[in-house]
Amino acid sequence: MKSFGAGVMSNSIPEIRELDFMFIIGSNTTEAHPIIGMEMKIARQRGARLVVADPRKIWLAEHADVHMQLKPGSDVWLINAMAKVIVDEGLVNQDFIDKHTEGWPALKANLEKFNLAEAERMTGVPAADIKAVAVEYAKTRKAAIYYTLGITEHAHGTDNIFSLANLVMMTGHLGVPFGGLNSLRGQNNVQGATDAGATPLYYVGFQPAQDPEVQKKFEQAWATDLPATIGKHLNTMMKGIEEGSMKALYVMGEDILISEPNTNHLEHGVKELEFLIHQDIFMNETTKYAHVVLPGANFAEKDGVFTNTDRRVQRVRKAVNPPGNARPDWQILCDVARAAGYAMPHYKNAGEIYAEIASLAPRYAGISHERLDRTPMGLQWPCTSPEHDGTVYMHKDGPVKGKGSFIVTNYRPPVELPDEEYPFNLATGRVLYHYNAGTQTRRDSGTMAKVGECQIEVHAEDAARLGVAEGDWVKVVSRRGGIKARVWLSGRVQKGHVWMPLHFTDSAINKLTVDVGDPLAGTAEYKVCAVNLLPLKDKKPAAAGAELEAVRHPQA
Amino acid sequence: MSETFTIKIDGRECVALQGETVLQVARREGIQIPTLCDDKRLDPAGACRACLVEIDGQRRLQPSCAWKAADGQNVKTHQSSPRVQRHQDVLVSLYMSDHKLDEQGLPVETPNGNDLRAWAKDCSTLKLDPVNAPRVARPGDKNPYIHFDPELCVLCARCTRYCDEVEAVNAITLTNRGSETTIGTAGMRGLLDTSCELCGGCVDTCPTGALIEKKSPKTLPEQVTKVRTTCNYCGVGCQMDLNVAKVDGQERVVRVTSPEPGTTVNDGNLCVKGRFAYDFIHHKDRITEPMIRKADGKLHVVSWDEAIKFAAEGLKRAAQRHGPESVGFISSARCTGEENFLMGKLARAVFKTGNVHSCAAT
Repeated sequence: MKSFGAGVMSNSIPEIRELDFMFIIGSNTTEAHPIIGMEMKIARQRGARLVVADPRKIWLAEHADVHMQLKPGSDVWLINAMAKVIVDEGLVNQDFIDKHTEGWPALKANLEKFNLAEAERMTGVPAADIKAVAVEYAKTRKAAIYYTLGITEHAHGTDNIFSLANLVMMTGHLGVPFGGLNSLRGQNNVQGATDAGATPLYYVGFQPAQDPEVQKKFEQAWATDLPATIGKHLNTMMKGIEEGSMKALYVMGEDILISEPNTNHLEHGVKELEFLIHQDIFMNETTKYAHVVLPGANFAEKDGVFTNTDRRVQRVRKAVNPPGNARPDWQILCDVARAAGYAMPHYKNAGEIYAEIASLAPRYAGISHERLDRTPMGLQWPCTSPEHDGTVYMHKDGPVKGKGSFIVTNYRPPVELPDEEYPFNLATGRVLYHYNAGTQTRRDSGTMAKVGECQIEVHAEDAARLGVAEGDWVKVVSRRGGIKARVWLSGRVQKGHVWMPLHFTDSAINKLTVDVGDPLAGTAEYKVCAVNLLPLKDKKPAAAGAELEAVRHPQA
Repeated sequence: MSETFTIKIDGRECVALQGETVLQVARREGIQIPTLCDDKRLDPAGACRACLVEIDGQRRLQPSCAWKAADGQNVKTHQSSPRVQRHQDVLVSLYMSDHKLDEQGLPVETPNGNDLRAWAKDCSTLKLDPVNAPRVARPGDKNPYIHFDPELCVLCARCTRYCDEVEAVNAITLTNRGSETTIGTAGMRGLLDTSCELCGGCVDTCPTGALIEKKSPKTLPEQVTKVRTTCNYCGVGCQMDLNVAKVDGQERVVRVTSPEPGTTVNDGNLCVKGRFAYDFIHHKDRITEPMIRKADGKLHVVSWDEAIKFAAEGLKRAAQRHGPESVGFISSARCTGEENFLMGKLARAVFKTGNVHSCAAT
């Protein structure tokens, strides 16, 4: 991360219950990270103050001391206005700024324009709240910030994070226990995938792919020549598929036709691929176009490690055999590499692969399967030698990258704003009872009993104006597609805003969303897009599943 | 930071920290004191009276779970105090008079264990007439995961306190009075119609198996092998134990339980997905054979050798024809670190492209 050198959770989960102040922005923690949500609730019961900044009245907001119900996409305004208050009130940590950062004068000058009155107008959050929260954050020693996709899944997601990083550095809440900037990662091993080098920018352990030294090191280790340049981001690859420049794809454990934005367009491109491998545990939309399907193993059927959101490497252990002829994915990958003519080592088990990772990446050098088996709490990287205990909180001796950089950020409106034709702002998210595309949780009777079909949260006044009631079906249409959902008057969304969970593949919500990526991270704008709701009055309430099939080409 | 001092338990000098309870000191020293209502995650309730000890200067026996250790304190457990042992014998017998017993007259074993059974074995129990308390469950509760048997409930309130103090949803509560006291919900509604989030913490904390998981109501603890692993849902990285048992001759995950509180990052807690949504593991929809799409446009089952060869050649052909930049590798945040590493190695070392990414960007 450009601000201070690691886009991860700087601090640890067990620190949460000792905090005095929590600022949660763009994270529906109790539903997306329930056990971290539990820790926050414990902290709250022990007397910590809780501030939630979220456009929706999420569950955690009901427990909050202050709920800043900001307008979607106005995060930069809110955070910068808080930063300006901290400057104006003389609460900056000048010592930390002088010792550990650069770029302060430029940031300070830029903050001038983020005055409170204008902030209230832009964000919808009362100026008094913005001021009080900023002052409390700056003054409280054990104060930490948590964020997740509500901050990053915007076309300006990195601006949001830079703004938060500025806030953390100007108050010196970095490199200390019970503080920091904490990105709550969504998936079991989303951290570990990037750590391991499944990213176009880095080899394993965040070693830059375009660095000739790094390239040389890996060419020696792997006894072959390697590409000298970085590769394409996921979003860029998807664009390449749509445009026809990508010809072959190996997809492991993802349904790109459900998870990627604006899937109508992408589906067309995937159909045209010359060659598509799909390796997974269940058939899904992507399988429909695959030339070869390889059955993999789930987490209960193989060995390895997952790295969680606080950089904690922990063991995954085989408990049962995969069904039929399905095989652990690591074995399949090795076989494909060998069949393609590369002398992939004959790893006897996943521990031997980890040993290769540890030998190539200094920050995991102290981690091994054997050591993890003796360590029920896992090991948090950096863990650089077998004697190193792991790192509970980062940036202890100043930012990892040397000097933390204040990065000037300015408000940019969302790519797509509501207009007459599409008057509602749609945001997407998660519910407690399901997980991502629902391939696992929709196969469980219990989670389906709780939430069994695609719902859309609508404000009661908007519903009344449209003439729809709780449980009615509506067609949700954007410029890119349309899907059906049931109206849910949850009382959580603001007027003019609607919200849907993304778990129901037969309602493929990403047919609606915008595929404009953040220029730096390549992350798509899942959070804000403009839609209209068309009541389906004649439609009888249907059974979940079959009748929820997507309605395509709504404009045709 | 913490001040230390010594107390005496059963004549043994024990180091205690300021603020610790007698029970905490005893546990650290390996001195066994029975408990039912104690859970490290909860504030002491002193409700079950199982942990009473004799403390010099106190006329009554005191609950060691709530009694703070103090410098020079002299404590006697049932090991050295006949009075405490007598108290336990009577108390456990009273509990048993209002509990399901097996043919040996011991509290029944349950899929969730039964601490009362273990405790009863250590005591000289008295034969008392059964109470048959008119305690009710929640008839018509259609929730798919959590079963409540009031006949096994000892009203220790661990479940209701967990629901309040840890999960903080207050879905269940002690309801009614006297011998009718039970674990209820608002209006005795089924859990699906309450604020319950089905985290199953109540099942985890229940000491007597009054709360068990509905999906495996018969499998007893000694019939399973526990395999410690990391949850495969969100990024918290909760540690969990997959309980494996033979079902129709096949090893199956039949239950998920959480580790001892205080030993892992999740402190013994799990959410509804981690604890209960494991049906996908052995689901009938699993892909079990490699397949290739043939000229008829359909997928056909083939051997692994054929599938692997076909896969490798398909990628190689595209790379040769259109250049390495035209080939992409989508890895998965759902797979292990080792597998993601191999996907990166496959892209770069074998197909000479940096086009490798996972949904890690989001």
